[in-house]
Formats: sequence, C-alpha cells, structure tokens
Amino acid sequence: MSAAPAPSPDAGAGRGALLPRRPGRTSHAPSGDGLAAAAMILPAAILFGLFYVWPFASGFWLSLHSWDGFSPPVFIGMANYVRLASDRIFLGALENNIIFVIAILILKNVLGLGLALLLNRAMVGRSFFRAAAFVPVTMSFVAVGLLWSWIYNPVFGLLNAGLDLFGLGFLKHSWLGDANTALYAIIAVDVWKWLGFHGVIYLAGLQTIPAELYESATMDGAGRFRRFWHVTLPLIMPIVFINSILGLSGAFVRNFDIVYVLTKGGPNHATEVALTYMMTKAFQDGAMSYAAAMGYVLFMIVGLACVGLLALMRRQRLAL
Amino acid sequence: MSNVLAPSQTPARRSLEARFGDTLAALGWRGLAELGLVYLALFVVLVQTIYPLFWVLSGSLKTKQEVITNVWGPPSGLAVSNYAEAWRMAGMGARILNSVGITMAALVILVLAATPCAYAIARLKFRGRIAVTAAIVAAMLVPPQVMAIPLFLVARDLGLINNRLGIAIIYAATSLPLSVFILRSFFMTLPADLEDAARVDGASRLAILVHIMLPLIRPGVALVLIFGFIEIWNDFFLAFLLLRKPELQTIPLGLVSFFQQYDSLWNLYFAALMITTLPVIVVFLLMQRQFIAGLTAGAVKG
Repeated sequence: MSAAPAPSPDAGAGRGALLPRRPGRTSHAPSGDGLAAAAMILPAAILFGLFYVWPFASGFWLSLHSWDGFSPPVFIGMANYVRLASDRIFLGALENNIIFVIAILILKNVLGLGLALLLNRAMVGRSFFRAAAFVPVTMSFVAVGLLWSWIYNPVFGLLNAGLDLFGLGFLKHSWLGDANTALYAIIAVDVWKWLGFHGVIYLAGLQTIPAELYESATMDGAGRFRRFWHVTLPLIMPIVFINSILGLSGAFVRNFDIVYVLTKGGPNHATEVALTYMMTKAFQDGAMSYAAAMGYVLFMIVGLACVGLLALMRRQRLAL
Repeated sequence: MSNVLAPSQTPARRSLEARFGDTLAALGWRGLAELGLVYLALFVVLVQTIYPLFWVLSGSLKTKQEVITNVWGPPSGLAVSNYAEAWRMAGMGARILNSVGITMAALVILVLAATPCAYAIARLKFRGRIAVTAAIVAAMLVPPQVMAIPLFLVARDLGLINNRLGIAIIYAATSLPLSVFILRSFFMTLPADLEDAARVDGASRLAILVHIMLPLIRPGVALVLIFGFIEIWNDFFLAFLLLRKPELQTIPLGLVSFFQQYDSLWNLYFAALMITTLPVIVVFLLMQRQFIAGLTAGAVKG
C-alpha cells in the first residue's frame, strides 16, 4: 500500500514544480516519448532481464551440458533430453501430471460452475456463502496440505472417523499411504482449495448475462435445462476458458507445494509430479543440468497447451 | 472496479428481487421447496469448507491425548498454553517478521517497477512498444517454476541465496508480468483527453503518471497488491529454493520444518496453523467485497 502515493488534489502545484520537457510539443509527436518510455520501462526491464531472460537462456544452455553443480560443465548436446524420454520415473511423473490436469479441469469447472449457479440463486446471504467458499483460496498450500494430512491420517483422521460414523468403516484407508489412492487424495485437496476461486469467477460471469435473455427464452417456451444450454453456457464460454487455462497451468507447474507437503512424491513415486522429481534430481542427486532439461520439457508442454487453448478460445469467440 | 460492474449488475439484481416476490406468489410451495434445496446445497458447501477449519481450532485447544480420543467434538478444556508453546517451538516470531519484511519489500518493488512500465506501454508512443508488450505476454506463459534450476543458479551468482532482500526482488520479478498486464488494462480504460490537456499545460510524462493517472487507477494497484500478497505471503516453492538458513525462513517453510521436526505433537501443529492462517482469513473477511470485486473484474475483463 505504501507504494501508491496519495492522490494529490492540487495537481497544479506538482505540475508547476516540474518543468515541461519540451515546451510547445504535445503528444501528437510520435517519437517524442522515446526517452520517457525508456526511463519508465527500465526498472521492469532490469528485473525482467535478470530473472526471466537470463535464467531462461542460461538454463537452456545448461540443459545441453552435463553438470553436477561444481565441476566444469561438459557439452553433451541433446543427451539430457534423450535420457528424459526413457526415464521411467519422469514419464510416470508426467503421466501423474496429466491425470492431475484432466481431473482438475473437469472437477474445477463442473463444481465451480455448480457452486456459482447455487450462489446466483441465493437471494439472501449470497456474499456470506461466497466468502465462506473463498476462505481456502486465501490459505497457503502448506497450511492446506498440513490440514489435509490430518484429515487423511489413518489413525485419527477426520475422513476415516467420518466413514466410521456413517457405518462405512470398511472403506477406511490409509489415503496417502496407498499408491492407488494417494494421487486422487491430493487432487481432492487441490480442488477443495481452489473451488471457491473458480466459483467466484463463474458467478461474476453469470451476473453479466442480462436477465432479459432468460426472460425472452422463457417466453419462447425454453425449460430450465434448455435455458442453461442455449443461454448460460454459450455466454460463459470465455470464463470456461479462463478457468481452464488457470487450472491447466496450476496442475503442471504449481503443485510442488501440495505434493511435497502431503507425500513428497511417494509412496514409491505414486504421486511424483514433474516439479517434485526436478527438485529431487537437482538438490538431492546434484543433477543440475538434467533437472534444467526437465524444466524445459515442462515449459514446452504448458506453453503449447496454453497456446492451443487460447487459439481455440479465439476461434470459439468468432463463432459465437 | 465496482463502478465497472455496477451499471450492468444493478438492473439485473433489482429485477431478480422483483421476480423473487412474484415467484413466491406464483409458485408458492414449489418455489419455496426449490429455494430450500439451493440453500441445503450451499449449506453442504459451507460445512465442507468451514468444518475442517473449526476442527483445527478446536484441536488447537485440546491436550495431546484428547486430539486422539476426541476426534469430532469441541475441546473439554481450553489448553491455551498450546499457542505459547507452538509459538516458541516453531520460532513463530522470527518467521512472521521474515514473512512481513519480505512480502512488503517485494510489493513495494513490484509496484514501483510495474506501474511506470504499464503506463508506458499503455499510453506512450515509442518504437518497440509492441515488442515490449509481447515480451510481457510471453513471460506470463513462462511460469518461474519451470526455470527453477537456472533461477537458483542466477540467484547464486548474484549472491541472492539466503538473502531476504534478494528473495523479495525475485518475488517482485516473478509477479511482474501479470501485474504489468493488469495495470496496462486499467491505464487503457482512461480517456486520452485527460493527458492531452495536461500535456498542453506543459506537464511531463512522469508528472502526468504520478499526479493524474495513478489516483485514477488505484483499484488496479490494489488488485496487483492483493494478487501479489496472496502469492508471495503463501509461497513455499521459491522460499524453499532460495532460503536455506533456518533463521531466514518464512512462515510456510517454518510450518513445514516444524511439522517434520516433531512427530505427533498434533495439538501444537493445530495451534501453529491457527496462528499463521487466522490473520490472513480475518483480513480477507474484512475486505472481501473489494477483494472479490477486484478479482472478478480482472478475470471477466480477460
């Protein structure tokens, strides 16, 4: 907050204090802003150059070498990438990422839209329910992960105790300890954390749909389902895409925290995702350049998927 | 942002309310039953979100034994000493100070760097404007996580490992593309005559930005600060990568190492979780209207 200067109602005083740069010239001179623009972009450009361009470029150079972090790097061309293509743990991790993505795209969109439709019908207490659903979004993945590691605890966790309570004791389970359920248990936590976020965005989308459209659809004899299918869904397609892009990149590159806190990729790599494997390789096995190559594979996948979705979105918009 | 949404929203809401009355009159029991179902479903959502938090709260006030014997219910006594003990054992004080200092420094750097850049690409005419804008958009497709390894090496070369100001600068950099993009869209909504008038009066570009434009895009700056705050305050990944000394750790790192260090002190974990989570939730609940309005305006505007 401190960075935003207070508004100055007497801008005249400030303006008087600063001498005009080029008297007599106005913004109609196209090249006149070059210097001012360069000065204004400079701070951002320094940050961007140091922490985006440099790592991005040097990381690619690094991925073409063999390097343990200490001894001099040896150029090996594409060997790291070739090795990745037959690294069964890495391929397993990517498979887990893909399961993660598919499950999350379906669950977050369907449940998020469902929540938004419910909220949209609530005439009293809408903002109360909306705020309650949004609370997990404000929590850190670490807090959410620790909370759920207790819920899933096989001895006294809430989930198993709940199954007992409803007479479903035979379903009791070591949710995170069993390789068959661990990944889905983590996905459920991710959906729990983000449901309110996607619901709120869908709700905002629903509220931009003019009520007259529903009224005229009703007058044309459209039932509830057809109104949803022909009015609501086409009009919120852009929101579906926004939610999908957010969910997609989240499932590929933002799930380190939750996986690390809940299972660290175990048991026996059952919940390993690309990011956890990358960090293990880099900082436990010292395979810096091999880990860097994983980052680029991940970047290519996420980048292509996002570009594909954006292209699809553009085409859909034209069709609408 | 509320004034962006308001014009389209108000008539819709009013007619909804009017229709609510009509619905009650026309549909009678059927409408009521339906509304009852909606609220029942919302209540289920409420319970699944809030009950786990209530569970942590009551767990934080139980004794170590009671956490295991009394899973569901409220605590039998109030073991408030859990909080003092968790605070001491997890080194909360130092972690909170680290988190506050790092987050504030990062947000200041972020706003100081992002605002003029966004203004320049939104309003100034210069060669390379499209290239700069394209670089910002492209950077949004490169999540910092995928370049974690080279980022670590760059930070090491610059002496920014185990350095609180260092990680603040890196946080500012990783939040930069999205922030510039958000601020740019806010600057572009402002009318051009505003600037032209000031330019005729002889004001410099910087004076126009600071005195005329900035007050008008305060909702945009607030949005950037909100996004940045949640992202940086809650971050585990970059802190895990760049802060390796225990005394420099932020809250998320501290929680994880506390959790890993002491096995089965469940009541203390609950207390530590409460200490770190509750303030953020309270702040959110206090300003949730601005928060959600800003978030949704940003997303719906695309």
